Amino acid sequence: MEFYAKALHILVGWQYELNRYISTTIRSLSDDSSLSTSLLVLGIAFTYGLIHAVGPGHGKALVALYFTSNKSDYKKAFKMGYMISVIHAISALIFTFGIFFILKTMFRQNFNELSDIAMQISAVMIILVGVYLIYEAYSGRKHKEKREKRSSKSEIAVAFSAGVVPCPGVMTIVLFCIALGQYTLGILAAVAMSIGMGLTISLAGIFSIALNKKAGSFLDDKGYILEILGASLVFILGLFLLLATLNVKMPN
Amino acid sequence: MKIFFILFLLLSSLYSHPHTFIDLYPTIKVKDDKTQSIHFKWVLDEMTSTILIMELDQDMDGTINEKENKNVQKNYFYIFENYSYYTHIIVDGKVLKSPKVKNFKASIENNRICYSFDMGGNYNIKNTIFEFGDTDFYVAMVLKDEFVKVDGATAITTGVDNDFYYGYRLELK
Repeated sequence: MEFYAKALHILVGWQYELNRYISTTIRSLSDDSSLSTSLLVLGIAFTYGLIHAVGPGHGKALVALYFTSNKSDYKKAFKMGYMISVIHAISALIFTFGIFFILKTMFRQNFNELSDIAMQISAVMIILVGVYLIYEAYSGRKHKEKREKRSSKSEIAVAFSAGVVPCPGVMTIVLFCIALGQYTLGILAAVAMSIGMGLTISLAGIFSIALNKKAGSFLDDKGYILEILGASLVFILGLFLLLATLNVKMPN
Repeated sequence: MKIFFILFLLLSSLYSHPHTFIDLYPTIKVKDDKTQSIHFKWVLDEMTSTILIMELDQDMDGTINEKENKNVQKNYFYIFENYSYYTHIIVDGKVLKSPKVKNFKASIENNRICYSFDMGGNYNIKNTIFEFGDTDFYVAMVLKDEFVKVDGATAITTGVDNDFYYGYRLELK
């Protein structure tokens, strides 16, 4: 755990510097509206997204667990990351522009309430995905080929569950751009940061697929046990998130 | 090994990565090994500050007046009481519950929101440790050596590994 804490500290330090760098650069655009500065902002937003998503978050856990419960190739992990990026960027933009232009005031209070609702929707979806994956793993336990062919519906459901909750970090950049009158840049920065985050989440999926391949060949035709276990953990993850957003106190 | 990895992901998933950065400036006066006054100044990161300024500076004059200050204190700052103001005062190894704050003042400096406040109490510096950090890891507190001002003792700042968030420790010798 010491290694994890040190890594976390380094990551936080990088984010701290990037956060300062991006705000200073965006503010400097008020004086200098050059294309190169705008591209620099997008580059920083992408890097910020990459690093930001390395920190703990439910998206990576969900994707990693999904690929534990599902035999896949590495392309699917990238596809998943791409889908999450798109859903996440759209969600963040709808939330930010919606709160800012429709509700107009008290951004933070509204954000907290809406974020809780989005998290609850996400948690319920994760629970349903978990139930579906358990059912699929159990029903296909005697048919290896069937287990390997999964419908794209479950992938979309996982991507939606992971991406629907807008990241406050993305929303902060968008809102900061809006406050400085840089609307287009705000939208593009949200997209750049979401792609960065999606790529990191893809890596969590790839890591999980690699582990699954090793464990799967070891377990041979009992691979469905691992899949049921992974699916159960997806279900538990959803349950934990739901309880956390409903403010249910866990016994110590 | 795999189970450990999965459980690790599961546990870590319930925590958020930092979204707001707060530079922490403590000013502490010590006499005869006891704290006489403890003052903190938080300086929020520029992006968070810009968003907050839109809400907090209601007359948009670039300053926080008395009426706005009361609004900030009541509707924004007191929320941090639930998080002990990210300040954990540890006396003889035990964390004190809900430290009280006084003389709250919000201001805007260089496009950044600042919260200044006193956190009273005469603590014996020989058995007291101050730790700073958000256990939810939504906020990252940043304490650098150059941010600390201590009169009457020597300050020692170190990083603290709290498993899922990284905090800072301030000891007075």
